[in-house]
Amino acid sequence: MEFGPIFRALTRNRARFFLIVAEVALTLAIVANCATLILSARAEISRPSGFDDEALLAVSTTPFAEHLAVEEAKAQRVAADLAGLSAIPGVESASNTNFLPWRGGGTTMALQRPGSGQSRNPDDEIGAQFYSADPALAETLGVSLVGGRTFTEEENQVDTSVFVLQRTTPILISRVLAERLFPEGAALGKTVQPGEGSGEGEFTIVGIFDRFYNPMGESSEVVVIFPGRSDMMGAGMDYLVRVEPGKSSAVAREVEAFLLRAETGRNVRVRTIPEMRGQYHSQDRLLVASLNGVMALLVLVTSLGIVGLTAFSVAERRRQIGTRRALGATQGAILRYFLLENWMVTSLGALLGIALAIGLNVGLVNFTDAARLEWQVVAAGVFLLWTIGLGAALGPALRGARIAPAIATRNV
Amino acid sequence: MLLYNVRLAWKSVLRHPVLSGLIVAGIALGVGVATTFVTAYGALSSDPIPGKSGDLFYVRLDSWDPAAPFSSSRPGPPQQITYRDLRGILKTGIPLRQTGMFKSRMYVYPNASNTVGDRPFQQQVRLAFSDFFPMFDVPFRYGSGWDKTADERAEQVVVLSAALNDRLFGGADSVGKTVRVANRDFRVVGVLAPWRPKVLFYDLTQNPNAQPEDLFMPFNLVEPMEVRSNGNIQSWSGPDSDDFVERLHNTEAVWLQMWVELPTEAQRQGYKSFLDAYALEQKKASRFQRPLDNRITPVLELMEEWEAVPAQAKSLAAISLLFLVVAALNLIGLFLGKFLARAPIVGVRRALGASRRAIFLQHLVECELVGLIGGAFGLLLSFGGLALLNRVYRVISGTEGFFQLDATMVMTAILLSLAAGALAGIYPAWRICSIPPARHLKNQ
Repeated sequence: MEFGPIFRALTRNRARFFLIVAEVALTLAIVANCATLILSARAEISRPSGFDDEALLAVSTTPFAEHLAVEEAKAQRVAADLAGLSAIPGVESASNTNFLPWRGGGTTMALQRPGSGQSRNPDDEIGAQFYSADPALAETLGVSLVGGRTFTEEENQVDTSVFVLQRTTPILISRVLAERLFPEGAALGKTVQPGEGSGEGEFTIVGIFDRFYNPMGESSEVVVIFPGRSDMMGAGMDYLVRVEPGKSSAVAREVEAFLLRAETGRNVRVRTIPEMRGQYHSQDRLLVASLNGVMALLVLVTSLGIVGLTAFSVAERRRQIGTRRALGATQGAILRYFLLENWMVTSLGALLGIALAIGLNVGLVNFTDAARLEWQVVAAGVFLLWTIGLGAALGPALRGARIAPAIATRNV
Repeated sequence: MLLYNVRLAWKSVLRHPVLSGLIVAGIALGVGVATTFVTAYGALSSDPIPGKSGDLFYVRLDSWDPAAPFSSSRPGPPQQITYRDLRGILKTGIPLRQTGMFKSRMYVYPNASNTVGDRPFQQQVRLAFSDFFPMFDVPFRYGSGWDKTADERAEQVVVLSAALNDRLFGGADSVGKTVRVANRDFRVVGVLAPWRPKVLFYDLTQNPNAQPEDLFMPFNLVEPMEVRSNGNIQSWSGPDSDDFVERLHNTEAVWLQMWVELPTEAQRQGYKSFLDAYALEQKKASRFQRPLDNRITPVLELMEEWEAVPAQAKSLAAISLLFLVVAALNLIGLFLGKFLARAPIVGVRRALGASRRAIFLQHLVECELVGLIGGAFGLLLSFGGLALLNRVYRVISGTEGFFQLDATMVMTAILLSLAAGALAGIYPAWRICSIPPARHLKNQ
């Protein structure tokens, strides 16, 4: 291989090759950091909720008719809605609950182990998202209980007409909450209390949900569910509906039509969970799309640069190539010369780029909450640049290889 | 001479269409990407109420739980204040503009005189005091805000957004007309001109890029209408009361935003001492048990503190500027290649008497020409880029066309492409003009 001659030739064209080196180095630094940002955003976007997202519809109804403010009317309305929803073909199960996954926002309450009230320490309190749900929630969400049972119909008959949540005894909690309340295990059947200022009562854990993720501050996996109708605080009645696989959009229209027909004094909004999830992640998706765009364009610009410089490098040496060919060099030897030259320059740039990438990453980690650079990402970046470099140099190098030996004998 | 150089440059561009295309594409991409993300960052981070942002102060009081700070990660008072404290500090003797406020959601009922169908629809409502409109320079199309009497008497008056007025009244002057909101009749006193601050600076507690509410009504309606907040509510202690008004006056829940306008330093000092005096007074009643920490914070400082500009926008702007650097490096290389290939011709021109200066200028003009062509394409690209951003952004904030290329950005893009052309051209042009003519004549 002609490392020596190529290297000496490069030193004669310092400015031009310094440019490629710098360009490759910056490109690697940017691409590696973009990829790191993209990977962490994508990890967030594709994080599993633990539910059958594809099969779920989130239904929120907001009443405006006066007669829906009456307690008995609400109870009847919910019962009739649930019966009607279950009768729609394609609906597998329906639950009256204000837990709509990926809604973003909600309410938290503090929970603590009983007895800790005397020597109160705020560190003992655990903030949990809290919702109310009827017995059908687990089945509708498609989550399994790792222990215990769901609510009974009897437990579900709670008066929710008052603003303050009536403290009823049975609760369902997520596994993460169970582990934090009772690190020693065996949370099932134990009792907990609301934290200071969160009201009175004593709750018995009757069931524990397995995997559960619903993004909300620091309590994404920490959830407590109370029995009862989900129409308190004038928020309207919400339902989760589980549909047969692949039918969600068709059933969604049916559901909306049915609910509006059944009670005209309200507005109805039906969304699929993937829709809500997409909306929740829209900012991350904007970031990923932008970064992908920037990365693709950057790679394009860099390869344009390499094409141009190699083409020039070939054009400048037409006569030398002709001479080499006339002296017996094969087309393959000429091709190899230019590709090797390109590979050396790219590698030099990549070496510098690794240092730059680490520097840029340190900056991003300090100024934003970016993730740290992984060596695999850098390695992939170097590999990418080698490929691009060779790909971009191939065209001009092939053209150079086809230069006829006779060129050498011509004057200009 | 300039014209001659431009003609030469144009000829040179046409002589190597592929190479020229590469160069133009390189500049276009660099300028396009940089303009797109710098515009986006500018939109998200620029002063939302220039000239006044230093006079508007957000008020916070530390009325929180003596046992634990409001936030474990970020020291300081709660983000919002309680109802009882709002009532307390509104009674300040200091003459100033001030407003407490919160947002809610209410049903709007189109009636016979309206142009939409019969079905009521929910809208975001802001309950505030009459000072809200002059304080935040809210633009009116018809009418005006309500007056102090309407504040005091909790009159059922309302100011509509331009969009809601379009929807209800087809854009006509609806001042004096009646709108049914939450089962009550409201008299329209004002209609806003289209108003879309890039940052919802007067309420940064939730989505800082949300659009302003569609209805504004007197704050004091909160008690008679039993209006509940649709924003953040945090509480550590409160009575379990069924009575709305009683609970309102006794809860320690924080859920209200409070703003004051303090144009002079003396007023700021005065107001700050007033707040501290208020807190000390409350301490006597066994409230405010935490160390004294009352704050008044101007708009831009609050945006900084609450990170109203997404960190991602910052990273993207930085990355896109680096992108421009790569594009410029690229350009230097391409120009260098192109010019040096022309060395024999330049040798002839120099031998025939062209000065170095003339050669340098000729090549620089070519760089600028290509730079401008690239910049023009770059602007087109950034229109496309911003359109893409807008499409995704519509989902986040519900606003059409959030990011707009304004005149300054167009100017910046042009200057950027001229600068890129010059920066990228100087070295290659200098190289080509400093080649001794004899060297390239020898072979001819």
